[in-house]
Amino acid sequence: MIRRGVPTPGTLAVWLLAAILVLFVVGPLARLLLHSSPSGLADALQDRELVTSIWLTVVTATAASILSLVLGVPLAYILARKRFPGHRVLSGIVELPVVVPHPVAGIALLLFLGRQSPIGSTLAELGLEVVNRVPGIVAGMLFVSAPLVVSAAREAFRSVDPKLERVARTLGDNGWQAFRKITLPLAGRGVLAGAVLGWARSVSEFGSIVILTYNPKVASVLIYDRFTLFGLPAAVPAAAILLLLALLVFLLVQFLAPDRADR
Amino acid sequence: MIRLEQVGVRVGRFALEDVTLEVPAGGYGLVIGPTGSGKTTLLEAIAGHTPLQRGRVMLRNEDLSRAAPERRRVGFVYQHYHLFPHLTVAENIGYGLGAAGRASEAAGRVRELSQMLGLTPILSRSVQGLSGGEQQRIALARALAPKPSILLLDEPFAAVDPATRRGLRRELRSLHEQEGITTLQVTHDFEDAMRLGDVVAVLAQGRIVQAGTPEAVFRYPNSAFVAEFIGTGTVLRGTVERVSEPDPGTGRFAARFATGSLVLEVVAEREGESYAVLRPADLTLSRTSGEGPAPRNRFLGRVTHIERETAVAQVHVTVEGTSLVAAVMATTAEELGLAPGVAVHVGVKATAIHLI
Repeated sequence: MIRRGVPTPGTLAVWLLAAILVLFVVGPLARLLLHSSPSGLADALQDRELVTSIWLTVVTATAASILSLVLGVPLAYILARKRFPGHRVLSGIVELPVVVPHPVAGIALLLFLGRQSPIGSTLAELGLEVVNRVPGIVAGMLFVSAPLVVSAAREAFRSVDPKLERVARTLGDNGWQAFRKITLPLAGRGVLAGAVLGWARSVSEFGSIVILTYNPKVASVLIYDRFTLFGLPAAVPAAAILLLLALLVFLLVQFLAPDRADR
Repeated sequence: MIRLEQVGVRVGRFALEDVTLEVPAGGYGLVIGPTGSGKTTLLEAIAGHTPLQRGRVMLRNEDLSRAAPERRRVGFVYQHYHLFPHLTVAENIGYGLGAAGRASEAAGRVRELSQMLGLTPILSRSVQGLSGGEQQRIALARALAPKPSILLLDEPFAAVDPATRRGLRRELRSLHEQEGITTLQVTHDFEDAMRLGDVVAVLAQGRIVQAGTPEAVFRYPNSAFVAEFIGTGTVLRGTVERVSEPDPGTGRFAARFATGSLVLEVVAEREGESYAVLRPADLTLSRTSGEGPAPRNRFLGRVTHIERETAVAQVHVTVEGTSLVAAVMATTAEELGLAPGVAVHVGVKATAIHLI
């Protein structure tokens, strides 16, 4: 007799293993939120240093996302549409930051953009000091978030059939018009989801920023600072607020993700 | 007018080579070829989507070989329609007029084309979820809206059911006549060529292997590949052996064509290895050996199967181990009592056998 609806031991084992991992991800986050009382969170929002730090994080992450879009969308389009010698190498280079440890990225950026480097000294002469300044924060965020934006945008462009652009061209559009009127609206949601994901990655960045620009402090650096100086109770409210911000962005990404789009 | 002069194009490892073709102004040209022969690449080269390596593309007597696609003013309909999914039916149809800065004309032209193609009831709908036939009509209307003088069609009937295909063929022919557009269509279906084309070119592995009127290509294929691909008839491989002196005027002579199992009397121009094409309509069938005027070739065979179409029956007969196909009227097949296993006399005139 076939028994329907009774899970086999194998199925149970699969579900159990999956549940352990889900608990491992959700558990610490839930614990952090539950650990912070509403009054503690309200007090934290009165903390000028924390509010300033979160505001700085939001502004710099937004700047990094805009830069990722401006610089990354053309690259993503080229990678999605063109075939040329070195295509695979270029794709690999774009994704390289993903495998570079973040403090290593911070040191590399310090050497590349510091006053001792030709680029850093040129930027400083032009009035754009990077290290230990706000642009240093943006540089660290851009380094870690750009691969996410480029990857998401490249996949979004790949999902748009190039023949749609060709049809638009035969109907009188030039290349830019076809891109703006056909490809961008169709890929836009995926590109935007990538930008929001990049923004969230920027907000969570610590390793490279702490080396490039310790002060002024972004939220992740402030949390680390408070934890090392004053212990866990001082770090929890700030950490909980940053977590809430990240969750908000996570929900936004879920909403924007192309597979959720009505097609 | 569309004129291709020794066009060469390379896409990855595939190459179109030395393609020369002309469709006169207002004419309807068809390029037919099997999948992977380069048909779509050819249209994309004409539209400017694929750069030429060699040769020239002349449109309306103007050399537009290096011009951007938007400068060529051609309408293009892809096999899978490629409607803009984020726009409504009306927005899709009017797209080309908006792009050309003729938005004021758009409403009138969209109305005119949608009436012509029966799209009026769905103008405000999204293009998603429409039937294949509706999508194809929209793609056609969108291509025609800016009134291009040249229309390129990439297998426009491949993805629709047979009834829709017949309807679309009629509409396309009528639109072509009304709008006077020089049209080049690619297809793998020779029936399209017979019903629509003024000029037909057969493309194989990136080269045009034969071009001419559909009737000429059908009746006189220049290779076994063309004969088999367009379905001219049964293609037999054999050897031609001369049996009389050549006619001084035409150089042609009476000969025997031997396939190994079958020997046919033919009229030939050269001896040696050759292919003989036997068109189904040129084969006669009878139940007795003495019916009607006797053709030079007459064999006794056996019916293997019959493909019945509306008015015509394709009768497959095996003669000495060789399979032949004869086309007879369905009523004739019935009167003769043709059925699988029935013995039948097959006749074909020596002059009706086309040698390649």
